[in-house]
Amino acid sequence: MEIVVLVKPVPDAESRLRPNAGGTELDGEGIKWVLSGYDESAVEQALLLKAAVPGSSVRCISFGPAPRTEEVLRASVALGCDRATWVERPVGMPADPLLCARVLREALRKYPHDLILAGKQAGDDEEGIVPSALAELLGVESFGSVVDLRWHAEEKRFRFQCVLDSGSEKVEAAGPLLIGLQQAWNDPRTATLPNILRSRKATIDRLPWSDVAPLLGAFSAGRTTSQRFRLPPPRTGARLIDYQSPEEAAEKLVKILREEAKVFP
Amino acid sequence: MRPSVLVVGEAVHGQLSGPSREALNVARSLAGSEGRVTGLLIGHGLAAASAEMATLGTDRVRVVEDAALTSATCSTLAAIVRAEVEGAQVSVVLLTGSVRYRELAGRLAARWDASVATGATELSPTEGGGLRVARPVFGGRATEELDLGGPRCVVALRPHAFPPASTTAPAAPVERRASPPFPTGNAPAPKVSALESTEVTGGPSLGDATIVVSGGRGLRAPENFRLVEELAASLGAAVGASRAVTDAGWRPGSYQVGQTGRSVAPQLYVAVGISGAIQHVVGMVSSRVIVAINSDAQAPIFRVADYGIVGDLFAIVPALTKEIRKVRGLS
Repeated sequence: MEIVVLVKPVPDAESRLRPNAGGTELDGEGIKWVLSGYDESAVEQALLLKAAVPGSSVRCISFGPAPRTEEVLRASVALGCDRATWVERPVGMPADPLLCARVLREALRKYPHDLILAGKQAGDDEEGIVPSALAELLGVESFGSVVDLRWHAEEKRFRFQCVLDSGSEKVEAAGPLLIGLQQAWNDPRTATLPNILRSRKATIDRLPWSDVAPLLGAFSAGRTTSQRFRLPPPRTGARLIDYQSPEEAAEKLVKILREEAKVFP
Repeated sequence: MRPSVLVVGEAVHGQLSGPSREALNVARSLAGSEGRVTGLLIGHGLAAASAEMATLGTDRVRVVEDAALTSATCSTLAAIVRAEVEGAQVSVVLLTGSVRYRELAGRLAARWDASVATGATELSPTEGGGLRVARPVFGGRATEELDLGGPRCVVALRPHAFPPASTTAPAAPVERRASPPFPTGNAPAPKVSALESTEVTGGPSLGDATIVVSGGRGLRAPENFRLVEELAASLGAAVGASRAVTDAGWRPGSYQVGQTGRSVAPQLYVAVGISGAIQHVVGMVSSRVIVAINSDAQAPIFRVADYGIVGDLFAIVPALTKEIRKVRGLS
């Protein structure tokens, strides 16, 4: 089985977010870029399938700028992906989701694939647009928010579970499919030191922007434009409730929640 | 000129979902009195939901009903929405933020080459005839403002970010569409089949709840987690947990709120015995009101909470449950 995993570098959760002077983008300084948590689950799912289906191989693909994109591709190789493709996005070009979907469609033409995996959304912008947009462009079925994807060789079908808002649904489907993975359900592995060292020398297949851009056809990327980022007002700390007894604490809190915060009647 | 808006609503157990009512409210305020608001429902058993939709500020309601559509795939739903929109004067398509319907955003936008945003918590028209959308990013640690332009915009709203539409009279006409000319699973060898669906019972789900009560390591033992569940039950809230709790196996991973679990943004979030590690905070910091109950006055959770009680949760939480049951007339 030929499996493709789409990955994206995102700022580590503990990175401090600082908009630049105009608020138009986040200051990249001091940000540590890591593989998106949802994508970690997608890579883990790909590696589990590879182990279960003899003769499978996993290729990770990412569209993004240097150097962080190459770094997360190497991190994915260190986890166990066999091959990696970096579609270079010029530094400073906005990360429009529809542009990204079109670019990935062109990249996917180069590689046979039975299954495309991705995080159901990115850990930074949390959009979740690219997977379903790409599925529409490719004309394949897609499912987001999936856990526990398995291949049933005798029926030639995938079986998996979609986590919905108030429950879940077990689904069976034939490939090709695009599956968006839920985060952290499969306890993603961490790379071993020898594999990290080996991944530094791994070949990363590069698709330069100048090769991809002419293939995209006419469309209006950039109809959706990011204007600015704003940070929430710093939380000033909790107002602590004074009390003599637990009953008094409860009574005071409920009064505040009803009359001041108005969160329930 | 005000836009004409299509709202793709959803029925849950035959009733119009809460996020659908919210989307109808947003649609009417965008369309004003000049623009047209069309409500669309797709599925099966939609009589009650469509009748309600007709009274919530719509100009007309379209219903595409077929038993096979109960487990329609995203591509089928997208094809039905496209059939309603293409050729009609619709410039804004609003989707609810449910797991299934949010995925429509990417498909519709890719097909129409339209501007698109998901998870919107603010939405207003711009002078140029487009939309300005605000949406939380980085687990609520920042808000991104986007301008959407072009002839058509697709926006999925974040659940519970907007008030629901209020009832208007008279009811709009409801038009039933014939069974759609799309593959709906009736084909001889369906490529996709839903095998079984499981409803989470015993209260609202984390993603959908307006109140969430979460427990952490401060509960000390798995059997004490019932204190959190009883408090949640008194509030009609969903139950969450910190990673310490799910890692220890006290509750399944699906309960986890945080960076490696679910992100929630309810109206009220109550953190019981949770220290407030950044890992947890990024999953709940965009809640409207946060209450923390913890014995350690120095716990970082008190820096993100709006209200705090420093004290023994084993005494405070039962007292709180009792008080809430009392004011809600439950005991």
